Amino acid sequence: MYYVAEVKESDCAKYNCKQCVLFCPEPNTLMFHDSKHTAWVNYSRCKGCAICVYVCSDLLKRNCIQMVMMTAGD
Amino acid sequence: MGLEYVRISPGFEKYMPKDYVDLVQYGQFGRQIDVQQLGQFKELVEEHPMCAGCFMAYFIRVFYAALPNPEDTIVIGTAGCARLALSQAAVPFVYGNYGDTNAVASGLKRALTIRFPDKEKDVVVIAGDGGLIDIGFGMTMHSWFRREKFTTIMVDNEVYGNTGGQESGMSPKGVQLKMAPKGKQFDKINAVELAKTAGCVYVAKLAPTNPKRIAKTIRRAILAARHFGPTFIHAYTSCNIEYSIPTEKVLEDARKREKQDFGFYEWMTDEVKEYFEEIEKQSQEVKA
Ligand SMILES: Cc1ncc(C[n+]2csc(CCOP(=O)(O)OP(=O)(O)O)c2C)c(N)n1
Ligand code: SF4
Ligand code: SF4
Ligand code: SF4
Ligand SMILES: [Mg+2]
Repeated sequence: MYYVAEVKESDCAKYNCKQCVLFCPEPNTLMFHDSKHTAWVNYSRCKGCAICVYVCSDLLKRNCIQMVMMTAGD
Repeated sequence: MGLEYVRISPGFEKYMPKDYVDLVQYGQFGRQIDVQQLGQFKELVEEHPMCAGCFMAYFIRVFYAALPNPEDTIVIGTAGCARLALSQAAVPFVYGNYGDTNAVASGLKRALTIRFPDKEKDVVVIAGDGGLIDIGFGMTMHSWFRREKFTTIMVDNEVYGNTGGQESGMSPKGVQLKMAPKGKQFDKINAVELAKTAGCVYVAKLAPTNPKRIAKTIRRAILAARHFGPTFIHAYTSCNIEYSIPTEKVLEDARKREKQDFGFYEWMTDEVKEYFEEIEKQSQEVKA
């Protein structure tokens, strides 16, 4: 089981903001989709720190990203 | 190093690892990236074993995105946490013995200048507070006294993180660490003033709260080192393990430390200031 971040893409796409992407400590992990205008997570690279949740929920009050449990292979 | 070494020879694309092909096709080589594009290109630094939520790892991520010329850059690191990520990037990395980084960088920069007289080759040291201001203090200072033309970046987590929590000269007075149980007895060293006194031509201090500003500072430090002399960045990069910061609060902590010891500070000689005014004017003319 892993603890990873998951973006609620339809909510995120309303904002086109990208702020969490600019604060993830891991490279090539929290990405931004050019045409869908949404952040998305490369789950196998996410280390589960939840800094992105702090940015989206605590700083921006947008609540578009949450931590979830994931099983290897999901 | 150089663009011709990075590109894949025709016909070999299908044998190369996907991450490498992505790097060449969607990466930074040969083009200028704006740090705001993070998440939309293949980054130079790869997966690495630094801890979850480590803001030193975050600073290193932004560092690579900020490089003005990654294909012509060599990074020098040493023992300490930073090298765990620095060694996983598509930029040549030299592991200097602990304390020796700035001596190694001095020799390397001089050799590159002789070998490639018509090309800019950037040398950047990234090392910890212990590596640069405690055990490597003499080498760091003397590289500045000699006006060696490279950039030194201190990733200051205010502790020996990699070896489990000894105090460093950069730990704040009074702080209790695993191996400083009575609390540190002395003040935090003023590294920025030392750098100015020792001959650096561009000096900055920051906390990693604003990626655009980190990138601009790194680019300025590298460009000033090319033409004028040693440059120094003192970056706060917390150790959430040794300072027991819950990972989700790491950015909040950086914002707090910014209001205390790490307010953004930038200093440069008049010569360097004129140079930036000139190139920034030119780039505005290009955009207009
Ligand atoms: C000559 C030498 N002395 C001591 C060590 C052991 N050592 C490895 S990392 C380290 C401390 C690292 O602290 P710092 O430079 O602040 O980097 P951090 O891990 O905190 O990023 C020490 C003492 C070593 N590798 N080489
Ligand atoms: S901070 Fe929130 S709204 Fe903004 S890109 Fe990230 S998930 Fe989307
Ligand atoms: S939890 Fe941490 S590693 Fe994972 S996407 Fe969010 S910021 Fe990045
Ligand atoms: S020990 Fe501290 S500085 Fe080192 S990788 Fe972990 S959090 Fe980062
Ligand atoms: Mg340290």
